[in-house]
Amino acid sequence: MPETLENVRKFAADVAQCMKCGFCSYYCPVYREEKDEKALARGKNQLIRFLLKGEQELTEGFYGAIDNCLLCKTCVQYCPAKTRIDHAVIAARGDYAAERGLPLSKSLVFRHVLSRRWLFGWALRVASWFQFLLPRGEGKFRHLPQFLTALGAGRAVPEIAPKFLRDSLPERNPAVGERRYRVGLFSGCATEYMFPEVGRRIVDILTGLGCEVVFSRAQACCGAPVFFSGDLETGRNLARQNLEAFEGCDYIVTGCATCGSGLADYPVYLSESPEEKARFEAFAARVRDFNAFVIDVLAAEPGRFQLEPRFRGKTVTWHDPCHLTRHQGVAAQPRKILNALEGLRFVEMPDADRCCGLGGSYSITHHDTSKKIADHKVAGFEASGADAVVTACPGCIIQLRDALSRHGNGAEVVHIGELFRVKRSALDGPGDGPAPTADP
Amino acid sequence: MMRRCRYADCEMVTKDAIRKLEGIVGAANVLSSEEDRKVYSYDGTSTWVHQPDVVVFPTETAHVEAVLALANEAKIAVTPRGGGTNLSGGSVPIRGGISLVMTRMNKILEISPGNLSARVQAGVVLMDLQKALAAKGLFFPPDPQSFLGATIGGIISENAGGPVCLKYGVTKQYILGIRAVLPTGKAIQFGGITLKNVVGYDLVSLLTGSEGTLAVITEAVLRLMPMPPARKTIIATFDDLPKAGETVSAILDAGTVPAKIELLDNWVIRNINRITGMGLSEGAAAMLMFECDGTDEVVAHDAEKIIGVCRRMGAAGVIVAKDAAEAQAYWKARGAGFAAVFSAAPTVLAEDVTVPRTRMAEFIRRVTDICKAADLEVTVIGHAGDGNLHPSVMTDQNNPGHFARAKRAVDEIIAAAVEFGGVLSGEHGIGLEKQKFMRRTQDPTFIDLMRQIKRIFDPNGILNPGKIWED
Repeated sequence: MPETLENVRKFAADVAQCMKCGFCSYYCPVYREEKDEKALARGKNQLIRFLLKGEQELTEGFYGAIDNCLLCKTCVQYCPAKTRIDHAVIAARGDYAAERGLPLSKSLVFRHVLSRRWLFGWALRVASWFQFLLPRGEGKFRHLPQFLTALGAGRAVPEIAPKFLRDSLPERNPAVGERRYRVGLFSGCATEYMFPEVGRRIVDILTGLGCEVVFSRAQACCGAPVFFSGDLETGRNLARQNLEAFEGCDYIVTGCATCGSGLADYPVYLSESPEEKARFEAFAARVRDFNAFVIDVLAAEPGRFQLEPRFRGKTVTWHDPCHLTRHQGVAAQPRKILNALEGLRFVEMPDADRCCGLGGSYSITHHDTSKKIADHKVAGFEASGADAVVTACPGCIIQLRDALSRHGNGAEVVHIGELFRVKRSALDGPGDGPAPTADP
Repeated sequence: MMRRCRYADCEMVTKDAIRKLEGIVGAANVLSSEEDRKVYSYDGTSTWVHQPDVVVFPTETAHVEAVLALANEAKIAVTPRGGGTNLSGGSVPIRGGISLVMTRMNKILEISPGNLSARVQAGVVLMDLQKALAAKGLFFPPDPQSFLGATIGGIISENAGGPVCLKYGVTKQYILGIRAVLPTGKAIQFGGITLKNVVGYDLVSLLTGSEGTLAVITEAVLRLMPMPPARKTIIATFDDLPKAGETVSAILDAGTVPAKIELLDNWVIRNINRITGMGLSEGAAAMLMFECDGTDEVVAHDAEKIIGVCRRMGAAGVIVAKDAAEAQAYWKARGAGFAAVFSAAPTVLAEDVTVPRTRMAEFIRRVTDICKAADLEVTVIGHAGDGNLHPSVMTDQNNPGHFARAKRAVDEIIAAAVEFGGVLSGEHGIGLEKQKFMRRTQDPTFIDLMRQIKRIFDPNGILNPGKIWED
């Protein structure tokens, strides 16, 4: 076995699990569009086996194969041999980045911008002034991670918010009534810069349910777009920064499915020592998705949820983000919330848990395939007959809005946190006044 | 430059030939990087690997005609491939050349409920077809357990079977017509859309199960059945493996033909529990799983008969699945059992022998004895209803002593199957995996006849060379 490959070697046992049955070919959204074995978990797994045997180098062709993966984990969910190809893919990307390096612009952003929130915000602000100048098609932002990359691809994407979350949400948000938990809000980049309203609404719900919410300014990007791409070193630095930022919180809650899974994956990919692994595990154990936290930890009384008036009488459906259902096992909780909302009708769409095709920067590097995958989602939504799609991942929201608008469908795509508020007292009736946390 | 490959009768693919192939199917449908060649070098078997020189994806029949004409002219080996889920080495391009991958020809062209037929392209995946058919209350009976990845072209080429073949028969009973391209580059239609057809030799049947050695199938007309309205799943456990085998023929003897009778041994039962946490009886030496289908009345009648025979034969326990969800859980567990077998050891030699059902108990006893004598771990799982068993020997090809012992045991198992009047492969095909047994078990005249037929179709020997018989 070659001396390098320090990351992928950790997952050699996972790689050995595959028995080449090819069942993943039915489930892989990328393979279903491209019909190229390199896109398939089995193909990637075989290439990684060749790599471990010294019969394959870390070539660009190899990177091309392991890069063509959404990390949706659908193959993992259905693999009869329980092969964790997601582990091996991320680790192999890590070994490639360590030996060959990521593209320069990508690594510059990962290393220097994402870890400095003010710089990231500033860069975005500048970018927002020039948004109207962006060309259609492949744009200048292709090496910015996650949602930012989507800007350059001729998509209908939300504009950069005029006021970021940190400019409109205090660091300390006291609980309404008796404090039950001290919760750290992990906002995530998309919520911070594009959907600050979602962040404010989540804080509003959590404080209403008796949580003191701390919005630490010291938090950085969760690191998922960074270390999922293979820059494990920068990912590690971000992880360490976030561990520090959330010291003293009982839970770390996020409304972003990707951030939630990224934070939970620190111990899998990023630890440098057993001690650090233990620290990452202890941190990951305190991370909760917003839906899971409200239902499982707070065990909130559904009668306290009050539907946002403009959704009264509407029918909505739910899109399961991969990073929620498969990475974190959260699927029942948002449905509990949706079913509990009086005045709202909830219907399932066919294949609700099918990947939307965004995959962070995948939507730029593999633009055509990403769009084709999203088209199936639109078909599923239209078959459901719903008026709006609800989900809990800013990335999915961007992708679904873009896909719907491409199909001339004006339906709304909303974050579940925007759908309801918490009644503050027994006197609160339906359709009460303005939001308690108004834009300052 | 024309390099010779290691076999005298075929040539390597030159840069010039790759340019011509790109001209035929378009550059996006020709792959030839080192990684491309590696990921098309294997199939579902654990031991057979050989890289093609180039991977070509036709998207219409005319592409296949042009590719084969070019290959025939330049004497380039062409190995057709569907989903690559096969268990025979059949789609492994053992002599390099072109891997002709049919997965991008995946349109369902027509479903005709009034005619109980469907016309599909060769690259349609069985599960996708079944979903489309189910929406119209129809199904295509052959059910190879690779249905999530297997393509219609591959299923026809391997004459695939599966659990329900007990009642419904194998693929060859469901192919009405085939559109295929001869190795010389000419497309031709065999058969048609009618159920009855005695016009000339039955070449549809000849192509079915020909393992991609005679022609490249690009389209097929399939015979369908209406979806049975009712199903019932019954589980019977036995404290003795051969006794379970005897029960199978007793049930058939009683005049009942369930859709499926699957056999699982104690090893598989334990592993199903490990994987699914289902809590099946681990004290049982064997388990039979039955599925009856048809109308409510037929299903109720058959179920009663099966339960009665199982009790009379001394089953330790008989369970009837309460509802569809419970039945599905059992069948899912059975699928997990197969996965357990294949991931249980570094190398698993999974056989595909089929014996007459009346001699199954005797055969199972022999398999157990052979492996006990050789100190090898073996598990017997299979489609017991049609005598098709998959005795699987656990070994490790990187441990030469153990591997040699395992291979000797497999030789003895196959010899036993033939001795009992069975065949060495029921549904996986010969390909590369079983060809060393061909000469040993088959009449030389039969092999010679096949060679001559092959020569008529494929004078230059370019199509899937090196398969079925040893050269």
